[in-house]
Amino acid sequence: MDVKLGELSSWILTRDFTPKGITGAFQRGYNRYYNKYINVRKGSIAGVNMVLAAYVLFSYCLSYKELKHERRRKYH
Amino acid sequence: AQVTLAGHAVLGGPFLGPGTLQATRIFHTGQPQLAPVPPLSEYGGKVHLGLIPEEFFQFLYPKTGVTGPCVLGTGLILYCLSKEIYVITPETFSTISVVGASVAEFIDKLNEQKIAQLEEVKQASIKQIQDVVELEKSQQALTQKCHYLFDVQRNNTAMALEVTYQEQLHKVYKEVKNRLDYHISVQDMIHMINWVEKNVVQSISAQQEKETIAKCIADLKLLSKKAQAQPVM
Repeated sequence: MDVKLGELSSWILTRDFTPKGITGAFQRGYNRYYNKYINVRKGSIAGVNMVLAAYVLFSYCLSYKELKHERRRKYH
Repeated sequence: AQVTLAGHAVLGGPFLGPGTLQATRIFHTGQPQLAPVPPLSEYGGKVHLGLIPEEFFQFLYPKTGVTGPCVLGTGLILYCLSKEIYVITPETFSTISVVGASVAEFIDKLNEQKIAQLEEVKQASIKQIQDVVELEKSQQALTQKCHYLFDVQRNNTAMALEVTYQEQLHKVYKEVKNRLDYHISVQDMIHMINWVEKNVVQSISAQQEKETIAKCIADLKLLSKKAQAQPVM
């Protein structure tokens, strides 16, 4: 990345946290991903697959609280 | 650059009606970055296993080399499983069977190839062994038919024996016949001699007999004189 870890805090302060800025950030992120993985001539399934994997991971995290009861051992 | 825009240009300046609009707009100026839009790239970003983009691997490369991400992935999976951060439920098995179906197909194909190869080898060896068995059987059948050969040989030897026996019998017969003929001829000779003697004796008349006897006596006397003379010398 172009921001060094030491300068992270100062870089965050320069960011635009208005709603417009946040939507702009999401838009930019979406455009970046879209143009890299989906908007190509010979796209593979990886473009969609990564989104689905992210969704799966997210939903697993949300439902972890109920899944905890289905564990085989209580103490690990 | 700022451009003032008057919406309603009226001759004169100061009168401003309701439709006038005064606004300052900043237009896009300067060199636009994407003036001619670049053509679509051919391939998307490289992604490993359909999940992890290449940048992650490049990020880890300087520190851990090529196997870094693999080890990291394995370690994370094992950690999640052992600490049961990821809980194995029946849902896991259903997803595995969905994903695994295609994987299983692929592996089944590989397996089938291997099995087909082995099957070929097996069939070849079976065929070879069957050929050998058939050869053995045919040879055994031949040995079954050997008795014809032996019969012929036996007949031949028997015939040879017969022949020699007959030859010898014939020889014996000939020898015996020879001897018997000899005896018969001897007897015939004796008879003939007797007969000849008888005839000769008959033919000799009395007179001739006397003459011959006298001559014989004279001869004998001569001989005796000679004999007497010799031993003295």
